[in-house]
Amino acid sequence: MSETALATPEFSAAGRPAGRLRRRNWPAIIAWAVVLLILVLLPLYLPPGLLSAGQYVMVGAVGAIGLTLVFGQAGQLSLAHAFFLLVGGTAYSVLAGETTQAGAERIVGFGWPPLLALIGAVVITALFGLAFAPVAGRLKGIYLGIASLALVYIGFYLGRALPALTGGASSGRNPEPFSLFGFPFTNEGDIALFGVPLRQPERLWYLFLVVLVIGYLLAAGAMRGRVGRAWRAVRDHEAAAAAMGVNVLRAKAVAFAVSAAYAGLAGVLLVLWYGLLKPDESEFGNYGLNTSIAFLAMVLIGGLGSIPGAVAGALIVWGSQQILTLFAADLGLGTALSGFSPTVISLYVYGLAVIAVVLFEPGGLAAIGRNTVAALRGRRRSDMDSSGASGRRSAPPGKDGK
Amino acid sequence: MLSVCGLSVRYGRAVRALENVDLEVGDDAVLAVLGGNGAGKSTLLRTISGTLRLHRGAVTAGQVILDDQRIDRLDPAAIVRRGAVAVPEGRQIFARMSVEENLRAGGLGAASAAVRRTARDRVHELFPVLAERAKQRAGLLSGGEQQMLAIGRALMSGPRLLLLDEPSLGLAPQLVGRIASIIAEIHVQGTAVVLVEQNATMALQVADHAVVLEVGRVALTGPADRLAASDDVQRLYLGGHAESDAQADAEVRAAQTSATGVRGLSRWAG
Repeated sequence: MSETALATPEFSAAGRPAGRLRRRNWPAIIAWAVVLLILVLLPLYLPPGLLSAGQYVMVGAVGAIGLTLVFGQAGQLSLAHAFFLLVGGTAYSVLAGETTQAGAERIVGFGWPPLLALIGAVVITALFGLAFAPVAGRLKGIYLGIASLALVYIGFYLGRALPALTGGASSGRNPEPFSLFGFPFTNEGDIALFGVPLRQPERLWYLFLVVLVIGYLLAAGAMRGRVGRAWRAVRDHEAAAAAMGVNVLRAKAVAFAVSAAYAGLAGVLLVLWYGLLKPDESEFGNYGLNTSIAFLAMVLIGGLGSIPGAVAGALIVWGSQQILTLFAADLGLGTALSGFSPTVISLYVYGLAVIAVVLFEPGGLAAIGRNTVAALRGRRRSDMDSSGASGRRSAPPGKDGK
Repeated sequence: MLSVCGLSVRYGRAVRALENVDLEVGDDAVLAVLGGNGAGKSTLLRTISGTLRLHRGAVTAGQVILDDQRIDRLDPAAIVRRGAVAVPEGRQIFARMSVEENLRAGGLGAASAAVRRTARDRVHELFPVLAERAKQRAGLLSGGEQQMLAIGRALMSGPRLLLLDEPSLGLAPQLVGRIASIIAEIHVQGTAVVLVEQNATMALQVADHAVVLEVGRVALTGPADRLAASDDVQRLYLGGHAESDAQADAEVRAAQTSATGVRGLSRWAG
């Protein structure tokens, strides 16, 4: 059993002495640095249309990270993501906006600084998620999904019934543009990077990028820590998790609150991106069933429970929609009016992607990525030392990403 | 350490799983709970560990006391924090996680990081195989290794009372012996054990006291060696109806000869 013998030193290096620093994975760190550098430089080259598409993808990625935590890590199906998006967007608009009179309607606003309003919106959405948690204590699987779907329809109703907050379903309300310590994320003022003027699209890109990176790191930390371990224990075997001291109800509640917080954050970004908060009248709007399903598709395509997978899923699902819309004319697709609009076509695109994932690689893009990395590593090792490669390959992926 | 007084448990309205059960576990003792299928052994363990509600059962009378405190109304996490942890029937390891992740998950119930560290060293001493296979998927372990993982995972919270539900289930006789010696070792290290078993021979070897349950009631109780010697237990649970060792040996020999008399497996030549 050379395999066992090989595994032992690796274990004692990584696992045994608590507190010793882990060996750093330089190739991965370099790869991430390159990706970040590209994302930082992209706005200098991309036209506004593609920049806007990229921002939309980042919004989707933030929301999808939230869903992959609650569904992939904690095993709780939630179709309420669109509702939490609406709550987040509304909370930001109310907290940051000014009270105005629009016709007969008095629209309420507190005029908080935008950063404070953003944080407030995230907290409020998390509380909404927490309020839903007791339902998760009673229902499982698809039943929980259906129950959470009810929230989307409650959102429809509230959006119409509370025009003082949402501006009403017909006109909506304009959210306060984001600004940070007096620096506006609009076209005001002149700044430039390498001679390229940074206007609203570029500034929003950087804002969204920073938010996404922070959200990504926090989620990765939660997943690696005790919270994530409790989630996975609950997901894999509720009774066993309870028997060894995991508070199952609390773990589920935390998962829902965290997931809702991410959705709320995505909701804030979405109103900033759109420049408008407009609750829906049908399930095809920004906060309808379709949006919930789109998020579900993102985490399925990306691989359940995988954070990089969620980001990649957002790129495919919301990215394809934006790209198809942008290049509708070039691709010879009809206009939005002709039934087969780019949005509808993108539904087919990611629908097919979901089917392909289910058929060929249930682990999604995350599993494909892991296998590729393992294969690359295996080959590199086999160049140096063939026995090392066999030991590596026979061991299944260490981190439970699925 | 643990005392159960007048405990009655029902599932739904109809099924009476336990009826007026009393038992005691000393600070440094191993109690074997014996009985056939449906005797209420697992229910007893579920009640002590607080997981009864997950199985839709309810305590209708009596109480469970751990260190002078009632625990029958606490949730499982609180009971683990108080130092009683269960290894559920059928192991219930997290098959998709690695061995190390399973152990770490077991540490979620631990009181502090220091407790976790000590517990981890102890688990690795007891089960070197778990250290060797740390990165392996738990679902790929053999049955015996999975049982060791389940016990190790429970030990990760540093319990003072370990509740084991049929650890010998589905294991080869040799492995049953291994598990028995491990339980003895855990006991020597100062952890009290409640051992629910159908394998009475093994349980009575390890335990110092034993309780026999029959359809939810305590039928017999006493020191393990006395129970092992008693005719009732011999007849009912040790598979013996022999009057003496000599007769038992004779029967075993008779069985062996008759077994060799049966046509054995042969290679198909045609």
